[in-house]
Amino acid sequence: MSGRQQVIGNANSFNTLNNYNNIVNIDAGLDAERDQILRWLSPLEPQQRHEGVRTDRLDSVGDWVLENNEFRKWCDTEDGCVEPVLFCCGNPGVGKTYLR
Amino acid sequence: MIDSLCDQAAGKDIAVVGLYCDFLAQKEQSATSMLGAILKQLVTRGETPEHIREAFQKAKREFGGRGLRLSEMIEILKKAITSLHRIFVCIDALDELAPRYRLELLESLQEMVRISSNMRVLLTGRPHIDDEVMEYFSKAIRIPVTPTQDDIKSYLEMRLKRDATPKAMDAQLRADVMRVIPERISEM
Repeated sequence: MSGRQQVIGNANSFNTLNNYNNIVNIDAGLDAERDQILRWLSPLEPQQRHEGVRTDRLDSVGDWVLENNEFRKWCDTEDGCVEPVLFCCGNPGVGKTYLR
Repeated sequence: MIDSLCDQAAGKDIAVVGLYCDFLAQKEQSATSMLGAILKQLVTRGETPEHIREAFQKAKREFGGRGLRLSEMIEILKKAITSLHRIFVCIDALDELAPRYRLELLESLQEMVRISSNMRVLLTGRPHIDDEVMEYFSKAIRIPVTPTQDDIKSYLEMRLKRDATPKAMDAQLRADVMRVIPERISEM
């Protein structure tokens, strides 16, 4: 009796392990597909550049834009009640990229 | 601005995506790859939408994973944003994109904004592309960006603090830097 228990016990743990492996494999397959899809969509990696800008940015500089009425309206107003396009223009080096 | 929008959007069904244009990457930065990068950021947010996976599998079968054409990219993107409450697309330094791609991108954005009322676009660029932007978005809100005196002073203080050879500069020179540079810039 105790021998049989042992076998079932083993079989169970084997099953669990097996299931676990399957899950891992499916996940890995999805991740691989996702990576392929991401590469297929575009070779560009804008997140990397964004991290650089975030690191180099000086806090508080350019905060006036965030208080700007036009900017606030553009952010907060419900769809259809505001012009959807905002254009911040300025000469080279004035800090357009580094607005927080 | 991207970070402020992200802070604001946290926890809501609002996506904020950012693109940076770069003179040195003019070849790679086509309208198609730029729009693709928007999609990429959307896909990274959560699960891959089924229609994107299907389009990918189809492309894979047809020609070993051939890339999307601009019109196909626009259609996929339009579909991908329908489930969002709102999407903010921020494109920095539009003037650095190759002129041909810049016009294609503006035209694509124009089409998407017309169809998708949940889409907001933020563009930054030098004044010489003003006419181009206005041609596609005649009602665009324009905010001229010039640094304030306080901005310039904060920046100078930071640079002086991080000066690698601080001893090369005496207090007088330091004071002159802090006074003259902000003055000159405001005269520009």
